[in-house]
Amino acid sequence: MANRQLRQKAKELAKATGYLPYMIERYLALWGEKETIQFIEACEEQITTSVRVNSLKIDAEALRTRLHIKQVTLKPVEWLDEGFWAEFEGSPGSLFEHMLGYYYVQGVPSMTVTKVLDPHPGETVIDVAAAPGGKTTHIAQLMENTGTVIAIDEDRQRIKSLESNIQRCGVSNAIILRGDAKKLDRLGHTPDRILLDSPCSGEGLIPLDPSRKTSTSMADIRFCATREDQLLEAAVNALPSGGTMVYSTCSIAPEENEYIVDEILHRHPDMRIVAIPLEFGSPGYSQPYGVELNESMTLTRRFLPHLHGTEGFFICKLEKE
Amino acid sequence: MKPELVDPVEWKELTDQFDNEFGYGVSKALLGDRAPVTISRGDTKSFYLVPRDWVGSLEEERTDFEVYSLGIRMGDLKEGKFRLSLQILDALAELTDKLLVVSQQGAEAFTYSRSIIKESVIKLDSHLKRGQRVIVLNKDGEVLGLAALSVDGNRLKRLASDRLVGKNLVDIGAYLRGA
Ligand SMILES: C[S@@+](CC[C@H](N)C(=O)[O-])C[C@H]1O[C@@H](n2cnc3c(N)ncnc32)[C@H](O)[C@@H]1O
Repeated sequence: MANRQLRQKAKELAKATGYLPYMIERYLALWGEKETIQFIEACEEQITTSVRVNSLKIDAEALRTRLHIKQVTLKPVEWLDEGFWAEFEGSPGSLFEHMLGYYYVQGVPSMTVTKVLDPHPGETVIDVAAAPGGKTTHIAQLMENTGTVIAIDEDRQRIKSLESNIQRCGVSNAIILRGDAKKLDRLGHTPDRILLDSPCSGEGLIPLDPSRKTSTSMADIRFCATREDQLLEAAVNALPSGGTMVYSTCSIAPEENEYIVDEILHRHPDMRIVAIPLEFGSPGYSQPYGVELNESMTLTRRFLPHLHGTEGFFICKLEKE
Repeated sequence: MKPELVDPVEWKELTDQFDNEFGYGVSKALLGDRAPVTISRGDTKSFYLVPRDWVGSLEEERTDFEVYSLGIRMGDLKEGKFRLSLQILDALAELTDKLLVVSQQGAEAFTYSRSIIKESVIKLDSHLKRGQRVIVLNKDGEVLGLAALSVDGNRLKRLASDRLVGKNLVDIGAYLRGA
């Protein structure tokens, strides 16, 4: 499609679907018309609720039996032992089993992020943008409450939820730090792994929050991209050689994902993207909008509403030589 | 404020009180192989139990990051009163016999911050005295929170069914209300 044609098409589609035109323009350039329409349609569908069983407090079978009595059915997520699609009658957070910390209501892409990080018992892991703690509590569970999880966030209010979730889930190996993660290199810890689940524009969350069709401008995306770049730079600098890192966002924008990682690879020749040994999602883009990026970008993964029935997410696993 | 190892004299004072209330040796068992540390914030001192190998790095000056919490939160000391955290109650329930078991209905009311009335009580030791803090459990032994007895245990039988037995101090419904 020529530029003018694309703009015109975007304008029409945006008007018909309630999106901002710049968003549709980018989708058309990224995916073409057919896939853009599939995406828009998928964003109108409800995303199935999912829960992560908290193995620090209960095993999956016992939880399944208990929830079954309450008319909640759990169906396994293929690549996640602890992850289940769940059908609740009422609010998934109001059940007794939730208060008891037996499960965490969490999107499948979010659970997958921690699984990709693959933390091991006894390690030191930094969770860079941690609140409200979905991934911190998952990390602690995979580490069986041993070693150290350092959970950082700068937001006072959100840190309260982080502490509450840590307590509810029975996590005993976490240190919560409040501060700006851009200063991570001054922390003085040598981690085995770092997770940066970055603050982002949330462009992947349209199916969960339709207001995002109109709430973010291109300037917001640029602002987020700058912050993502700074946070990832700080995280890379804090990672020792031989260390593993996962960068993730709940955005579908290449500007916040592949572009950011590509920049990092340019600046840090000792960093490389590594393959993710789990079957999920689809490959990240090595030529988004026709821009040539590092070929290994196809080792990253994306979750997309129209292909995977989940919110949009980007997951990239990196290692330092 | 940065975390500090608890001063031994202060720890002894605190644990003596604790053992007095929950049973001899309970605080030692609760501590296990962890170390007690505190963070002071205004007039409140929060106590945490942390793995011993964390202690070395705790006292380092960190100007860019404030330690908000760490390890297992034991509770807060304010104006001479020690308020137990929800997180410590699971471990404490395994160690003490200061327990109050409630019915399903009582459990639901309790987790909506209500107090416990006689008709909800399934089990309460008759030797427990008014004012005693007790861990509230459901029939399956799951910890719901902490209550303060408003009657002596041996008077329970004589109470009318709607009379108050335990005042709600904290309950796991707080995890939902706070979130
Ligand atoms: C996507 S959310 C993290 C969600 C979390 N990982 C989870 O799974 O529950 C991003 C978080 O980054 C925090 N944040 C934003 N800028 C930050 C900074 N400069 N330093 C530390 N945290 C920051 C926000 O407060 C927010 O809680």
